[in-house]
Amino acid sequence: MNFETLLQTLVFGFFVGSLYGVAAIGLSLVFGVMKILNVAHGELMMLAGYVSYFVFSLFGIDPFVSILISIPVLFCVGLLLDRLVYRRIHLLTGEAKIKNSLLVSFGLSLILQALAIQFFTADERAIQASYSGYSLTLGGIILPYTRLISLFIIFGVISLLHWFLQRTITGKAIRAAAEDAEAANLAGINIQRFYMLTLALSAALSGLAGSLVIIGYGITPTVGVVWLLRGLIVVVLAGTGSIFGTFSAGILLGLVEAISSTLFGAASREIVGLVMFLVVLVLRPQGLFGKKG
Amino acid sequence: MNKYRMILVVLLAAVLALLPMLLRRDDLINLAFMVLLYICLGQSWNMLSGFAGQTNLGHSAFFGIGALVTRWLWATLELPVMLAMILGGLAAAAFAMVIGVPTFRLRGAYFAIGMLALGEMMHAVIAQVLPFNDTLPVQLIAGYSLAMRYYVALILTIIILGFSTWLLRKPISLGLFAVREDEDAARASGVNPLYHKLFALALSSFFGGVTGGLYAYHQVSYYPQSVFGGNWTLDALLITYIGGLGTVIGPVVGSLFFVALRELFSSIFASFNLVVFGALFIVIVLAFPGGLVELLRKFQRGR
Amino acid sequence: MLEVKNLGVAYGDVRAVWDISFHVNVGEIVVLIGPNGAGKTSTLRSIAGLQPIVAGQVDYLNKPIHQPKLFTHAHELVSQGIVLVHEGRRLFGSMSVSENLELGAFSPQARKVKNRTLTQVFEMFPRLAERKDQRANTMSGGEQQMLAIGRAMMGLPKLLILDEPSLGLAPLVVKLIFDVIRELNQQGMTILLVEQNAKRALALASRAYVIEQGRIAGTGTGAALLNDPNVQHSYLGGVL
Ligand SMILES: Nc1ncnc2c1ncn2[C@@H]1O[C@H](COP(=O)(O)OP(=O)(O)OP(=O)(O)O)[C@@H](O)[C@H]1O
Ligand SMILES: [Mg+2]
Repeated sequence: MNFETLLQTLVFGFFVGSLYGVAAIGLSLVFGVMKILNVAHGELMMLAGYVSYFVFSLFGIDPFVSILISIPVLFCVGLLLDRLVYRRIHLLTGEAKIKNSLLVSFGLSLILQALAIQFFTADERAIQASYSGYSLTLGGIILPYTRLISLFIIFGVISLLHWFLQRTITGKAIRAAAEDAEAANLAGINIQRFYMLTLALSAALSGLAGSLVIIGYGITPTVGVVWLLRGLIVVVLAGTGSIFGTFSAGILLGLVEAISSTLFGAASREIVGLVMFLVVLVLRPQGLFGKKG
Repeated sequence: MNKYRMILVVLLAAVLALLPMLLRRDDLINLAFMVLLYICLGQSWNMLSGFAGQTNLGHSAFFGIGALVTRWLWATLELPVMLAMILGGLAAAAFAMVIGVPTFRLRGAYFAIGMLALGEMMHAVIAQVLPFNDTLPVQLIAGYSLAMRYYVALILTIIILGFSTWLLRKPISLGLFAVREDEDAARASGVNPLYHKLFALALSSFFGGVTGGLYAYHQVSYYPQSVFGGNWTLDALLITYIGGLGTVIGPVVGSLFFVALRELFSSIFASFNLVVFGALFIVIVLAFPGGLVELLRKFQRGR
Repeated sequence: MLEVKNLGVAYGDVRAVWDISFHVNVGEIVVLIGPNGAGKTSTLRSIAGLQPIVAGQVDYLNKPIHQPKLFTHAHELVSQGIVLVHEGRRLFGSMSVSENLELGAFSPQARKVKNRTLTQVFEMFPRLAERKDQRANTMSGGEQQMLAIGRAMMGLPKLLILDEPSLGLAPLVVKLIFDVIRELNQQGMTILLVEQNAKRALALASRAYVIEQGRIAGTGTGAALLNDPNVQHSYLGGVL
């Protein structure tokens, strides 16, 4: 194993980690604000992947442009899901709320998977754009253009999200609802409406993530759980406090997976994150998802 | 009334005992086997998740361990299958006790996702370590009898349901319910939550492992990773919730419903049963936490 | 302005408020006093739209806002002019003073005149102006209470409800808070106040009610209750 190969592995770990980060930000937004554990998040990504796939294969729309379609589509899916399903959980509090949200979204992910298998078949789909094979080579390190563009878009979107949450009154209202829903309500904030918006935003983020996944990797109807678990691991590692913190933890997971697969073989990639996850879970069961350790 | 019920029970027992002769078609016997397998699976999950309220999303790990160990002892070491199944169950329970103490530091949903991760981890490990198809030796295939599988499943089902009924009459079940309702309150009233949860976990993993063994006994060939698939957890959860969480009869009703629906829809729409099940599950969690059993009871009372 | 009729509040099967009736006229300061656990906070939370009621009715500006089958959410009541400063202040601790105040003016009509109200708040609490970029949870208890009241003022209340604003504060700060309440009232704001510091509160009150075990146990003008021997014994530490 030479230095160059290692660096190359790390670079790819970084790219995939940035997607873990986006998946995790979506999860942690909903968990942080609504105390809802949405395990259907992976399936939302899967749906977005198919949106991109079909607008590419049917209308020839460039996969990166298709993000402009998948994000609003998933935003609306999020609004709909809140209306139909999650709204009924808002009335609960504490443990019961988290547990029921987990169960309900589990059922939802089952439905979405089954529908996807029926309508999209179980075959793996990926998008081959005209520029897919090309890459930039920097000192022997290969940087595929698709991954670079993805990374660029991700940075753009999460910076925008950060700005939105920190600087706009709507974003502040979301943060206020996250911190103390009753106090926010007393300040004049309609909690249900902002919960709905939060779920839709999270779904929109899964739209971005899913489209980028199908460009760089591939999608099957059952791919959701893979991304969900990565997202959960990252959220457990980083807590729900800050967007960039979560994003960095995503990158960290990508790098750790890359290192572990070079050291212990490709097989360990599936396992190393889960081991980290369990260790962190068990070491700080109370501080889990907390702002600080 | 009691006499009437007695006759019913005897009749039912007779029908169940003679079912392979009555059905005579392998596909139907196989369906009957599946119903029994799912009853055992659901009820084993129910012991921890229903009776003690610890939603376990990693039950597939126990099922898988039981299956692998049983298969190895029975097919390779040629132990009697019943003994192999019991040892498979014990292996699953031993594994459960090792992981139980650390994972029970987690509560509620955190325990659930911790177990989910554990289940997925086992799945990933087995997929890497045992990637090959596992087929029975020739002499076992030659002597394969589906009716035999059915009877073993029937015995196991009777044991699990009988044991659960008995358990719910014992004082310890009150401790389990107390932990399910409110762990802190239970502790305050002198119930040791960890002890009760470990007890429920031991039973759940043991019977889950034995059920896995039953499946391993039934399959002519399978991929070892398939018995660790998350679908086993999911099916157990759906069956139990839809039937009636925390009841003995719930998994029975849920399992009949599950297999019937799957057969009904499979010709039209391959996974439509899962769509129906998912939707039904959501409705039950949100609106009818008692499941079908409770709904039926309400309906009866309403009349 | 506010009329509470035979109010009942429960948490699950546990009844916290049995039967409470009182009213608040425009321009008054009405004070509720009572021992711990009497149901004061529960009453206020119900009026403000955080907690559904199980019996009775609450009217605001001659229209029912709460009945057992009618629940008006807090955010809707804020735009109608009812703002509660919750027991324990309930600030957005990780946000700055300015952000807390900005969020207080969330309703559309309050947002329109946000800058003007902000000037008034800063005039009343110069300390908040000095510390407008500080995180709320790093401030002292007194400053936090000022911020809680300031945030409520940003919502342009017609009826300001305060739950134990002086709890745990130093005497000087308590005086400041009571001065502010008096001043707000003089500017035309109607006030409903729950206080442990009965002496100060009654001195300020147009009228007051004593609540015990979820029921009204007495009422009168502030001065009358101050001189009532029972009240003196129970709530004023026996001394005047
Ligand atoms: N969330 C809750 N769940 C259950 N019971 C509650 C809850 N909040 C209050 N209670 C109960 O309702 C009763 C009234 O409480 P409340 O807080 O309204 O009293 P209070 O008069 O404000 O008391 P204090 O002066 O201590 O603030 C108490 O017995 C209390 O234990
Ligand atoms: Mg109080």
